[in-house]
Amino acid sequence: MSYEHLIVERHGPVGWLINDRPDVRNAMNSAMRDEFAAAWTELDDDPGVRVIVHTGNGRDFQTGVDVGEIASDGVGMERYRRSMEDFDVHFTSWHQGVWKPVITAVNGICCGGGFHWVADSDIVIAASDAQFFDPHTSVGQVVAIEAIGLMKKMPVETVMRMAFMGRYERMGAERAYELGMISEIVDPPDRLRERAQELAETVARNSPAAMAATKKALWGALETGLTDACRQGAQHLVSMWGHPDQTEGPAAFAERRDPDWQSL
Amino acid sequence: MTYETLEVRADGPVGWLAFNRPEAGNAIDARMFVELEAAWAELEADTSVRAIVNTGNGDSFQTGLDMKQLSTDPGALRASSRQTREFALRMTSWHCGVTKPVVAAVNGTCAGGGLHFVADADIVIAAEDATFLDPHVSVGQVSAFETIGLLKKAPMEPVARMALMGVHERLSAARAHQLGIVSEMVAAEALCDRAGSVARRLAEQDPAALRAIKQAFWNALEAP
Repeated sequence: MSYEHLIVERHGPVGWLINDRPDVRNAMNSAMRDEFAAAWTELDDDPGVRVIVHTGNGRDFQTGVDVGEIASDGVGMERYRRSMEDFDVHFTSWHQGVWKPVITAVNGICCGGGFHWVADSDIVIAASDAQFFDPHTSVGQVVAIEAIGLMKKMPVETVMRMAFMGRYERMGAERAYELGMISEIVDPPDRLRERAQELAETVARNSPAAMAATKKALWGALETGLTDACRQGAQHLVSMWGHPDQTEGPAAFAERRDPDWQSL
Repeated sequence: MTYETLEVRADGPVGWLAFNRPEAGNAIDARMFVELEAAWAELEADTSVRAIVNTGNGDSFQTGLDMKQLSTDPGALRASSRQTREFALRMTSWHCGVTKPVVAAVNGTCAGGGLHFVADADIVIAAEDATFLDPHVSVGQVSAFETIGLLKKAPMEPVARMALMGVHERLSAARAHQLGIVSEMVAAEALCDRAGSVARRLAEQDPAALRAIKQAFWNALEAP
């Protein structure tokens, strides 16, 4: 499929999904929202893609919904409202049930709805000049879904503060790193994509099937309590028993070679 | 009971449970698998023990199941498989229902199944040169229980990263300290002394109060 607002590329085992509305700081309009749904599915279905990197073209990563366009095109607002009321949304890898590892590489500003992709990915790295803030309340809007996702994964106070401070305060990459919202700062910022590719290639050296089952166990744990999460985790763990990767892994280790994993 | 793979002793009010297969990175073989359950039960039952330190002898803290050894012992392999499938493990203090405070003192490499003992302890301190990694996905295995436990207690992203990076990246003690996975980092040679003094301080508190707090906190992790 061809995309107007996203760029979808493949570099070796790594699929890239790049926000491409740099003139509006990659804000999401209705068309881009549909393209996200298709792009995640396309990369997830491609057996050549083992890991997915998501970043933004231009100065900024993503700045949420393109309110101007959605409010004025005659259909966007009603459609947007309905999808949110039903929580029937399809623009992140989590929404789309992508079980390949997803790395978000935050360039520049990530604000408001941009947090959806931070909350919903597995690994998040950021350029040293990245900035995070949530302007919803400053324009009379409620932030819910993306902040709820974040607070399941990191200290709640930080998320609440961002939600309440609106556009009047920004968090830098350094603080996001200290808090475990991101796991790596890339400096200088223009090395971000190079580093994301390198990181993704490293992740791609691991068993695709084992990583998919691990993702299911970990994301499932956000839905339930500790013991239930472990019981469900056991099902994902056992699902790999007898899989060829479980003999290939130790064999490759013993023979000091790279494993030849099964494709998903 | 006499132990072959663990060192278990009481030093005043502090019980010590040290993994003792240093030549094998303290990996859990069939024998240790059985001894762990017995050791936690013994320390829990010993009324003179009021706090427990869990550490490892040698260079490693704990490096998970010794699959090579386990696969030579069909009975043990069957037992560990059943306990895994049903999530009926009996390896950690949490699995075994220990009600006394447990301090994990991570003395070196903590890999894969070793993370169980970090996730399931109440307090975790580490030597400056301790490292944490989760090799499961690099050998075709799934990471579940240990990383689920950790993500309930610490920021998820670094835990998910560790699970997905496999053998290709280690988390340092300094980073684990920054993230709140461990609460204190000490020089390697001072680790046991420091763990002992933390445990002695716990042993001075009202045991009933500590037991109630421990139960309340761990129960809180059971809410969705």
